Amino acid sequence: MEKILEIKNVEKGFGSQKVLKGISFEVLKGQVISIIGPSGSGKSTLLRSINMLEKIDHGNIYYHGNNIYELPDINKYRLKVGMVFQNFNLFNNMSVLDNCLLGMTKVLKIDKEKAKETALKRLDDVGMQSFKDRAPQTLSGGQKQRVAIARALCMEPEVLLFDEPTSALDPEMVGEVLGIMKKLAKEKMTMIVVTHEMGFAKDASDEVIFMDDGVILEKGGPQKIFNEPEKERTKLFLKRYLSN
Amino acid sequence: MNLDLIKAWEILITNFPIFLNGIVNTVLYALVGTIVGLLIGLVFGVIKASAISPFDSKGVKILKKVSQFLIGLYIWFFRGTPMMVQALFLYYGLSPIIGWDGPMAGLFVISINTGAYMVEIIRSGLSSIDKGQNEACMALGLSRFQSLIYVILPQAIKNSFPSLGNQLIVNIKDSSMLSVVWVVDLFFQTGAIANTNYRYVETYFVSALFYLALTTIATFFLNAMEKKLDIKDGSKDYCA
Ligand SMILES: Nc1ncnc2c1ncn2[C@@H]1O[C@H](COP(=O)(O)OP(=O)(O)OP(=O)(O)O)[C@@H](O)[C@H]1O
Ligand SMILES: [Mg+2]
Repeated sequence: MEKILEIKNVEKGFGSQKVLKGISFEVLKGQVISIIGPSGSGKSTLLRSINMLEKIDHGNIYYHGNNIYELPDINKYRLKVGMVFQNFNLFNNMSVLDNCLLGMTKVLKIDKEKAKETALKRLDDVGMQSFKDRAPQTLSGGQKQRVAIARALCMEPEVLLFDEPTSALDPEMVGEVLGIMKKLAKEKMTMIVVTHEMGFAKDASDEVIFMDDGVILEKGGPQKIFNEPEKERTKLFLKRYLSN
Repeated sequence: MNLDLIKAWEILITNFPIFLNGIVNTVLYALVGTIVGLLIGLVFGVIKASAISPFDSKGVKILKKVSQFLIGLYIWFFRGTPMMVQALFLYYGLSPIIGWDGPMAGLFVISINTGAYMVEIIRSGLSSIDKGQNEACMALGLSRFQSLIYVILPQAIKNSFPSLGNQLIVNIKDSSMLSVVWVVDLFFQTGAIANTNYRYVETYFVSALFYLALTTIATFFLNAMEKKLDIKDGSKDYCA
């Protein structure tokens, strides 16, 4: 299958603290990869490095075989790698619809009417079309995250990165967001999902990565990671999670 | 105090054209100073607030540091000295080179002086915006400039609108200092009238009333504008 991203020996530190200590994995087209692991293990830093929100110290990241640090225009790369944040980060000065339109009209330079059509379709996909004129501040957390997903999808990204998309949500809203992500997974959207939702990681992903202290401790299909993990650390982590 | 209200009314009526001429100039200087100052504040404020990113090339890093230092010097001088001193210093200092007259120098000084305050207001407005807003822009592939124009600055301006607007009020009053370089504003004209009728109390009383009227009207407009920003921002409460 087509290789979209290749992460090779990535290292990253903040000051003297090493946060990523040689991370390598590949992302194939249509694959859903879940990244799990304890707090502070470097999951967010890894996602942010892939999207060039952080600059890596060592190693390489390849996008279709090209080193992303040697691309002529990093904005062209970024728009192909969408990101959904824990805190939604909807643009506070715009309506729901305008949030979706901004990237399409200003970056992709799509004509406004056409962009509007696409935006309404994407909002409909996440059940938010009737909220198109609302201000982000007036939405619930779950609704905000659904809009954020629609906004990312409007750019027709090749890969979507999710950084704990449900962690800031009230429990009763987690389901609506996970439901949309599961639907995307079924539609063969390529996704890397950092999550504490073990149910999602188990049911929806093709591959699960367990990160601990800046390294990938264990990686494999969900069956393997959840039912027969090799490493003690993984077992301990899962036991703590699944007993909660 | 010996204030004769009837005399004051007489002074107002007989000198009205002169007062009006002063008012027009005061308004003109306050508006130009505030608008040009805001433009200076926007450009320099954005530069001052832009953090050094690890993705910047070496040249950009040096450019940022040097320009931030120079902007710091600019703010330091113009906020740390009286506008009257700035006006006289720059008028006399630059007139051999530029050959300008006092009123022109005054317009320049009030703009650049206001700019120094606006830079700080815009900078702190920018720093109040959540980092996530910018990251969401980057993730969509927007350029740094596009993020600023469409997402970051509108929010920063809205957040700091009260402080920005306050500069207009300050300028209505402080433009009076520019009379030292022969700006014929309300304060200058008041002095001219008082020096001919010797009724200082009544003349300056009338002047104070005019200033009060101007600042009140300005406050009213600023409040209306702020309301309008709120509505455009969509933060109306839909949940009712
Ligand atoms: N900008 C930063 N500056 C300094 N240290 C940072 C920065 N970002 C992250 N760190 C540190 O890097 C380490 C890894 O952080 P990261 O956010 O990647 O962990 P995480 O696995 O996403 O954790 P969580 O599950 O809590 O989100 C932490 O110790 C954190 O304090
Ligand atoms: Mg994290």
